[in-house]
Amino acid sequence: MISLTSYAFVSMILFSIGVIGVIARRNIFVIYMSIELMLNGINLFLVTFARYHFNMDPQIVTVMVISIAAAEAAVFLSVIILLYRSKKSLDTDIFTTLTQGEKS
Amino acid sequence: MMSDLMFIALSLFAIGGAVAMLFYKNTMYAALGLLVSILAVAGLFALLNATFMFMVQLIVYAGAIMTLILFILMFLNIKDENLPKEPNKFKLIALGAAIMIPFNVVVLKAVANLPSKDMNIINSTFGDIKPIGQLLYNDWILAFELISILLLIALVGSIVLAKRRKKDNS
Repeated sequence: MISLTSYAFVSMILFSIGVIGVIARRNIFVIYMSIELMLNGINLFLVTFARYHFNMDPQIVTVMVISIAAAEAAVFLSVIILLYRSKKSLDTDIFTTLTQGEKS
Repeated sequence: MMSDLMFIALSLFAIGGAVAMLFYKNTMYAALGLLVSILAVAGLFALLNATFMFMVQLIVYAGAIMTLILFILMFLNIKDENLPKEPNKFKLIALGAAIMIPFNVVVLKAVANLPSKDMNIINSTFGDIKPIGQLLYNDWILAFELISILLLIALVGSIVLAKRRKKDNS
């Protein structure tokens, strides 16, 4: 019997894996995908409670979250392209110095 | 029950894809793991009677965002020496799990205290495209317009960022 708690369990697991990915990985692409995974977990939580209360407002909120994620994807990926062109690396530690002037 | 088996299979795929994304060093395999996870979450939306959300998840996430990520990954042509070395990845993963487990326990205890209801698939218009559209254009019209402005700003911003600048030799 699938209940509210099992859906909540899956969505919390997805959210936690997203947080762990942001903490543990240093590849900027994997950090971005972990953020997407956190958004997915929250979306699943919202849709679960929409079904539980038989109310469609959380599904509208989920549409908003997905469209914000799309906008974020466009800007984030173009910033990643710029950084990768100038630094030739995907390490997040290199991105702490963002100056372009000095040639090391 | 059919839907129970579907739920178990889809949640295993969702969690398995997420774990694969967490552990693979190669970025392409990590993106494919995230794709599996997103498709499984779309299936869970379908089990929750959210047919419109199922379509949006498939079209926008699996169709648009993941295609964009994979396209950029192939476009950048990342070699193995460009990937960062992660010497204490497993230690940090254990630390993150130790941080997140108490939080999960608190939230799941709060959810488990709620009265249980029937969560099976029902035959109604709940979550269809028409009631969602009516709700979106009546009650949520201000948020809808703000989201459209946000998308326009993101479009202009990404074009400005990706434009090739002239090198000024100062």
